[in-house]
Amino acid sequence: MKSLQVTGKKRRLRNRIELLDIIIFIILLAITLAIILPFLNVLAISFSTQKDFMDSRFMLIPKKVTFANYKAILQDGRLWVGYRTTLIFLMIGVPLNLFLTTSMAYGLSQPGFPLRKFFIYFIIFTMMFNGGIIPLYLLMKQINLINTIWSVILGAGLNSFYLIIMRNYFMSLPSSLVESARLDGANEWQILFRIIIPISMPIIATITLFYSVDRWNEWYFAMIFIRKNELVSLQLALRSIVMEGQASQHFNYTDVNAIEFSDGMKMGAVLCTMLPIMCVFPFLQKHFVKGILLGAIKA
Amino acid sequence: MILPGVVWYIIFAYIPIYGLTLAFKAYRANLGIFRSPWVGLENYVYVFRDPAFLESIWRTLFINFGRLLFQFPYPIILALLLNELRINRFKKAMQTVLTFPHFLSWVIVASIMINVLGSQGLVNSLIKIFGGEAVNFLGSTKLFVPLLYITENWKSGGWTMIIYLAAISGIDTEQYESAEIDGATRLQIMRHITLPGIKNTIVVLFILAVGNIMVQGFDQVFNLSNPATAKVAEILDMYIYRITFKTAADFSFSTAVSLFRSVINFVLLLSADRITKWLGSEGLFS
Repeated sequence: MKSLQVTGKKRRLRNRIELLDIIIFIILLAITLAIILPFLNVLAISFSTQKDFMDSRFMLIPKKVTFANYKAILQDGRLWVGYRTTLIFLMIGVPLNLFLTTSMAYGLSQPGFPLRKFFIYFIIFTMMFNGGIIPLYLLMKQINLINTIWSVILGAGLNSFYLIIMRNYFMSLPSSLVESARLDGANEWQILFRIIIPISMPIIATITLFYSVDRWNEWYFAMIFIRKNELVSLQLALRSIVMEGQASQHFNYTDVNAIEFSDGMKMGAVLCTMLPIMCVFPFLQKHFVKGILLGAIKA
Repeated sequence: MILPGVVWYIIFAYIPIYGLTLAFKAYRANLGIFRSPWVGLENYVYVFRDPAFLESIWRTLFINFGRLLFQFPYPIILALLLNELRINRFKKAMQTVLTFPHFLSWVIVASIMINVLGSQGLVNSLIKIFGGEAVNFLGSTKLFVPLLYITENWKSGGWTMIIYLAAISGIDTEQYESAEIDGATRLQIMRHITLPGIKNTIVVLFILAVGNIMVQGFDQVFNLSNPATAKVAEILDMYIYRITFKTAADFSFSTAVSLFRSVINFVLLLSADRITKWLGSEGLFS
């Protein structure tokens, strides 16, 4: 992010703070608070008793910290089921994503690859035209993957956009490296794993991060393909907790001994669901930002 | 080398595309996608007779054209403001805060919104402090669409802003220096140098947004809507979801709708791509 700020510094010849600066600062502060306060609110409610919450008007700091909500929500069990399912998505899904993406990106980045142009169009076409959810659902049904984690993991096996970003990066690498390795008798898989991947760590890190966030946030495929309470994904577990009373028709948990969740429990569940992303984001922000910039160069 | 990837594409992308032929078949569960009998255009006769289908199309167009008007400019304004902010320490912190919500799923964001906009929520507390009446934000059919624009920008406005900030950082600094020597005010500089400097980026993102007009917003609408707003929330993708997975499923009928959606979307994206190329940009794909 540094480069974005350098220009700002260099070109400011006049450096005193004007009225305009104050106005801009106030507007931006308001927008920033509009994002921060809801999170603080969620945090405060999750640590408060239902009575304290109902009595307060503007809950940003809990009156008295209680862990009862977390205890209750973790006892309910469905968050654990959600964690388990989502961790499986991550642990099997992301390596599969990376394997498919790097191998295909590497192949298509090599100038001599047969039918290279055809395969690029083969990929791009699926970005512009797809079958939608119904044929995919029927396919999953026909190959007996419905109600297994494989329907979600395989269905989201590859992201064309990330694939193209990766391929563009590989194409920018000096070709002499690959050529000399070939002369030494290395086969293509050895070249990919021993040479290309080690020198492409920045892009691999970024793409890994994106795939991980995608798998963590997985809910749509999981909702369509898995209708089994023992395999509910984390996002859907949260959905069933928060929206239970609100919109009951979407979810299969609903009428199973309808537990009334307090606001504190609901917000505790929200926090449990976003905690990992919240923890890694500030440290890995530059990788996230790089991802969009790589994509934007294309656009 | 590319075999695993190609196999994946064939099975999970091209077979479903072939599966769209179901639009011209009568689906029988025991015969599957491949062997169900052909029926020609029969499904479409029913599709175009369904008023809910036609309504959902108009609703999709209405909501998503509104996005171009009310949602699209926000990240540009945000980038211009943040670029003008001179206090670097705040700049960085604000950037972090603004980009973060994009990485949460709509399930999480909707959960937060249900809390913040609820009767006991922050927004209604504020309204009450200023002596107003509590508003039922999430149950109101009138407020639903504006709420879509606001929550989308709450979640992803900051993220899109990054693209514009990058474009701004690519503007030649000499232009700024000479403008300052000429005594231009900061607003003039913003208007005559920064904004023209990111014009290309704006155009490309705008065209891309137009290209996505038929398919945008399912995750958001699905999670923010509830029985009270179901009527105004049924965009095309919601309609497809409802007729496929919630009522007695007629997969041929749903596929017919789905194919219609894919074709329109394809035409829109292709035109978007051609237009960006025609404008001298690199194009959206390849």
